[in-house]
Amino acid sequence: MGKDRTDLLQGTLDLMVLKTLETMGPLHGYGIARRIEQVSENALILNQGTIYPALLRLEQRGWIKAEWGTSESNRRARFYSLSRLGRKQIEKETENWQRVAATMARFLAPSS
Amino acid sequence: MELFLVLWHRMQSLATRKRRDAELDEELRAHIALATEENVRRGMSAEEARRQALVDFGGLAQTRENYRVQRGFRWLEELARDLRYAARQLARNRGFSSTVILTLALAIGVNTAAFSLVNALLLRRLPYPQPEQLGAISMRLTGPMAMDAPSSINGEQWENLRDRVPSLLSAVASSASEVNLATAERSHAVRAARISAHYLDVLGIHPAIGRNFTEEEDLPNGAKVALLSGRLWRSVFNSDRNLVGQAIRLKGETYTVIGILPESTPAPMDTEVYTPLRPSREGEGRGGNYEAIVRLRDGATWQQADAEIGRAWADVGRSFAARNPGTQVSFHTVALQKGATLQLRPLVLGLLLATGFILLIACANLAGLMLVRMERRKPELATRLALGASMSRVLRQLWVESLLLALLGGTAGVSVGYAALHGLLALLPKHFLPVADVPLDGHVLAFTLIASLLTSLLFGMLPALFLRRFDLSERLSSRFCTSHPRLRLRQMLIAGEVALTVVLLAASGLLIRTLVHLETLPPGFDAKGVLAAKASLDDVRYADPAAFRKLMDESLAAMQRIPGVKSAAVGLTLPYERPLNDEVTIRNGKETGTSANSDVIYTTPGYFETLGIPLLAGRAVASSDGPETQHVAIVNLAFARKFFHGENPLGRTLNKETMIVGMVGDVPLSPCFGNDDTPLDREPTMYIPAAQVDKKLLTLVHIWFEPSWIVRATNPGEDLAVAMQRTLASVDPGLPFSGFYHMNDLRAKTLYVQRVEVAALGLLAGLALLLSAVGIFALVASLVTLRTREIGIRIALGSSLREAIATVGNSGVNAALAGLGIGLALCAVLLPAMRSMIFGIEVYDMRTAAAVVLSLLLVVFLAAFTPALRIARIDPAQTLRAE
Repeated sequence: MGKDRTDLLQGTLDLMVLKTLETMGPLHGYGIARRIEQVSENALILNQGTIYPALLRLEQRGWIKAEWGTSESNRRARFYSLSRLGRKQIEKETENWQRVAATMARFLAPSS
Repeated sequence: MELFLVLWHRMQSLATRKRRDAELDEELRAHIALATEENVRRGMSAEEARRQALVDFGGLAQTRENYRVQRGFRWLEELARDLRYAARQLARNRGFSSTVILTLALAIGVNTAAFSLVNALLLRRLPYPQPEQLGAISMRLTGPMAMDAPSSINGEQWENLRDRVPSLLSAVASSASEVNLATAERSHAVRAARISAHYLDVLGIHPAIGRNFTEEEDLPNGAKVALLSGRLWRSVFNSDRNLVGQAIRLKGETYTVIGILPESTPAPMDTEVYTPLRPSREGEGRGGNYEAIVRLRDGATWQQADAEIGRAWADVGRSFAARNPGTQVSFHTVALQKGATLQLRPLVLGLLLATGFILLIACANLAGLMLVRMERRKPELATRLALGASMSRVLRQLWVESLLLALLGGTAGVSVGYAALHGLLALLPKHFLPVADVPLDGHVLAFTLIASLLTSLLFGMLPALFLRRFDLSERLSSRFCTSHPRLRLRQMLIAGEVALTVVLLAASGLLIRTLVHLETLPPGFDAKGVLAAKASLDDVRYADPAAFRKLMDESLAAMQRIPGVKSAAVGLTLPYERPLNDEVTIRNGKETGTSANSDVIYTTPGYFETLGIPLLAGRAVASSDGPETQHVAIVNLAFARKFFHGENPLGRTLNKETMIVGMVGDVPLSPCFGNDDTPLDREPTMYIPAAQVDKKLLTLVHIWFEPSWIVRATNPGEDLAVAMQRTLASVDPGLPFSGFYHMNDLRAKTLYVQRVEVAALGLLAGLALLLSAVGIFALVASLVTLRTREIGIRIALGSSLREAIATVGNSGVNAALAGLGIGLALCAVLLPAMRSMIFGIEVYDMRTAAAVVLSLLLVVFLAAFTPALRIARIDPAQTLRAE
């Protein structure tokens, strides 16, 4: 997790992308963006373009791999898939989030 | 780990930028296409689908930009882009660029040369192992003659140093001199020095072949052995590996070669042959004739060494204090490098300061140029800012331009510096510098780089200050510049330049007058037609006074038979040289018992006649003066004045029973006594007949001096030299002349420091004056260009041409006058530091000041009004029409 707000935002987006790839398997950039919109039930409307720097970041860190392939509609597109390091990162980050959530829950619970 | 992966990825991207850009484009196109497809499936029309897809995506350009930011080393790419842009700009403005680069090359170049000297003399470590452990012994005097410098020691001091100072490994050496080395083919005059047994051990040098001297060989009557330098071994003996153990003929005697020094280490004292010094308390050991070097032993400290020296030489201190009441003497160790370069320090650092001034002046000029250029580029910069560039980005790009110029100038400066350095070194006589060479090494290049960077900051920063108050709207719309662009600032720069120039001019003026004074000292003799030749008599064959006398008689008789020769003689030393000095005691008359220092020169009959030194009273040395007859002496005017208060010295007795039989005029020589360091002066001198020099003194003086054969001829040229060489060879084939000199050469040799100072500083002052003139010219010229319209209107309204020229020219002149004032004030403060270098005139010399002011004013007026004359070509009608 990062220290300031931009890092926080980047961190959450990174995790969403990784989870998406874990669930859906190899997917191209458009697919990942649409899936994130759907899962967040359109609460998260980001400019789809922001996905690309994020994908590059994940690729640089070695958490995802990229390959050119063909889509269902026979279009040439770049497909991303999870690497072994990426799977480990998901575990780490999920644990982190759950801890944060649990702590916050304790604070926010009605006093008893 | 993560960081490493990221960096690795980024570096890879640097290499494959274009390909990745293309891939990204393809990927983004695919994205839009897929989004459009889905929208169509949802029921939108093709057109609407695509539009919606683009909207949902967000900014394509923005995405690409963010992607690139994530991808590469942003600052590196921007720097590369700035550099390319800067290079294009510079190529387009070739006039501007070449002016800047040339100016910088000159300014940085002279700094590089000066710093090379500073580096070689003061900063570079000595080329011996653990040089920080090496030292010399410095003598500190308090009282009226206060000083603190390394000085030579006598035999007694040496023995105490060797035996009673356990913290130090000590050694002594004589100063280097020329001796004769005879090989089968011919005789060579080689540079030789005598060193004590452990001299090489102190320095840490081991012979490449053979061995060092042993302590037995260093005792009086020890074996005659010699060490050769690697260079001599190679050049004269053809790297003969069997040379060690063989005999060579040195100084007329047979010496055995016991070792060859490695060529990789500079030979100590830059000599070719080393023989054992055999220091003792007698002979030369009676006086301060040994130079000491020491090495601190492991585990000892310099303080311990100083304390031990103080105890070992306590007697010296006491007897000195007794003879010189009011002064205290003490001795302490000092770093060897520092000690050797003590005298040169102020000269070399002064040179660096002067070149530093030049650099500042050059920067001031360049800053002025940059200001004008910034003014012209305002519309372009305004446009860029309006289009969204940040101020810092624009400034950074401007700075990169200055940086590029500075680096190019610096690179060119290295070549200029190399040339300047070698020019300077060529002016110096051999063996003048205590180092073997002055290289352009890593330190010097680093210095040049830093100087370039600083320079670029200095003249590149100005646009930064200037741009801060930048009003976009005003700059975009105005076509004509009515307000004056930074006139005040440019005038201040000019004033600063001129101030520094004045200081340099004044300093070089003082040095020039000093040199003129020294060179035009009344010679007291007639140098026309005189040729001198030196030969080393440090030779066992001439240790016997009879043999020496025979050589004198025969060689002089033969020389006088050379056609064209009017007279010939031999003297131990000549005018302008540094003579032997000794203490004499007066034996009769009022001043009986007084003892004082005097110079001593032995001469053959005809010395005064050959040189043209006037005989003022009594007689000169005669052929009748011999070892068995009355010992006589001839003194000079200075001697009579000093010891007899101007009374007639004839008939007085000196020392044992030497009678003064004559008095001659004074000649300038390199003084041995005296408080200041004046290089030429008159001193009390005593001339004695060569025939009356006793055996002990003869051997000693021939170790220290090479006597000169002087000849007065109608045509003292190359032929005469050859004839003299042949004549001497006919008397003794094993005795070569080591060099031929005209009297002016000797004077030049003694004054070399002053000559180099004048050459170097004079050149720099001239350069500074030129740069200042260029600066003033540029200022006035740009004023004329910018104010053409205004001037045209004024002339149309009735102002005279002269007034117009005056108004414009005055901007330059006023700035220069302010600079002159500041410069003179600076001189009043800085020039007294030069006191030790100026002789014969005062530091605040009026004539020099007047010359400086006049020459500066002349140059300033020329520089300011020449461009102003262009105003005459302004046609008022045309300027008005251009409105």
